[in-house]
Amino acid sequence: MAAKDSPLKQFEIVPYSNTELGNYDISFTNSSLSMVITVAVITLFLTLTVNPRSIIPSRMQLISELMYNFIAQLLSDTVGDNGKKYFPFVFSLFMFVLIGNMVGMVPYQFTFTSHIIVTFALAAVVFIGVTILGFVNHGIKFFTFFYISGVPFYMHPLLIPIEVISYLSRPISLSVRLFANMLAGHTLLKVFAGFVVAMPFFTGALPLAFIVALTGLEILIAFLQAYVFAILTCLYINDAYHLH
Amino acid sequence: MVDDEKLQKLKERIDTAETTNSPPPKQKKQSGAGFGFKISTEIIAALVVGVGIGLIVDKYLGTKPFGLIIFFIFGAIAGFLNVYRVMRRIEKQ
Repeated sequence: MAAKDSPLKQFEIVPYSNTELGNYDISFTNSSLSMVITVAVITLFLTLTVNPRSIIPSRMQLISELMYNFIAQLLSDTVGDNGKKYFPFVFSLFMFVLIGNMVGMVPYQFTFTSHIIVTFALAAVVFIGVTILGFVNHGIKFFTFFYISGVPFYMHPLLIPIEVISYLSRPISLSVRLFANMLAGHTLLKVFAGFVVAMPFFTGALPLAFIVALTGLEILIAFLQAYVFAILTCLYINDAYHLH
Repeated sequence: MVDDEKLQKLKERIDTAETTNSPPPKQKKQSGAGFGFKISTEIIAALVVGVGIGLIVDKYLGTKPFGLIIFFIFGAIAGFLNVYRVMRRIEKQ
């Protein structure tokens, strides 16, 4: 599929080194480079913009403060007072996904969130962490999460597996949503870019105009998906505190 | 440091801006495609888990193909349950 001009070529992993640890390939790839850039951008942006600590913030400081408030508000709305201690986790997750998506919007830059293994790893961290949190808070009573009260007893053998499957499907739906949105959006951009070249005379301007609009939409989706990732993490943390 | 006079002025400006400006309009409803996508991932994720459990059960208990059939149905029901919960959460907002 990944021919020279394929719209899927952009998702190819290109290793920059051939490093192996045991049987595992831990080469530094374009995906790793993209992640390093993302983390560097987040760290530099947040530390530099809030560095002046002025009472009347500059525009850049305002952006950082808005992001902080956004996640703090989200956590207090969904989890309540218990949520404060998870702020660093949710904020890091949100910023990593958001800036990762935004870095991917830069031409020639690799989008690491368009690989399901990356998003699934993030979702798995959330899922395992929330499950551990549930057991820490409720001990063995956490299993009552799968038990729906108020149904006839003979329904439980049916309902409990359904509830367990529903719970296990969380990391999958969380990761697939982010990954598929990024993959579809970037493929679409490349497909329309192909039309620009292929169409005769000056009709290529039409898809070109469409790409401009689509790029705006992609930036919206990049933000929206990071937001969805963060809010679902908050909801799952909330579930770990309040069983049904 | 910023002097108090300047801060006071800014506060006045913010107050007037807050009183004159009407509250921002309610957030636009999610687009149809985005909504459909959200719902379909919920169903697919539950089905994937159901089929996965079914295949594992078949492999280790040798109940081929009944594990797959039963857990596929469970997965489908769990998918609908997920959709129902998403809908309920949206209605609440």
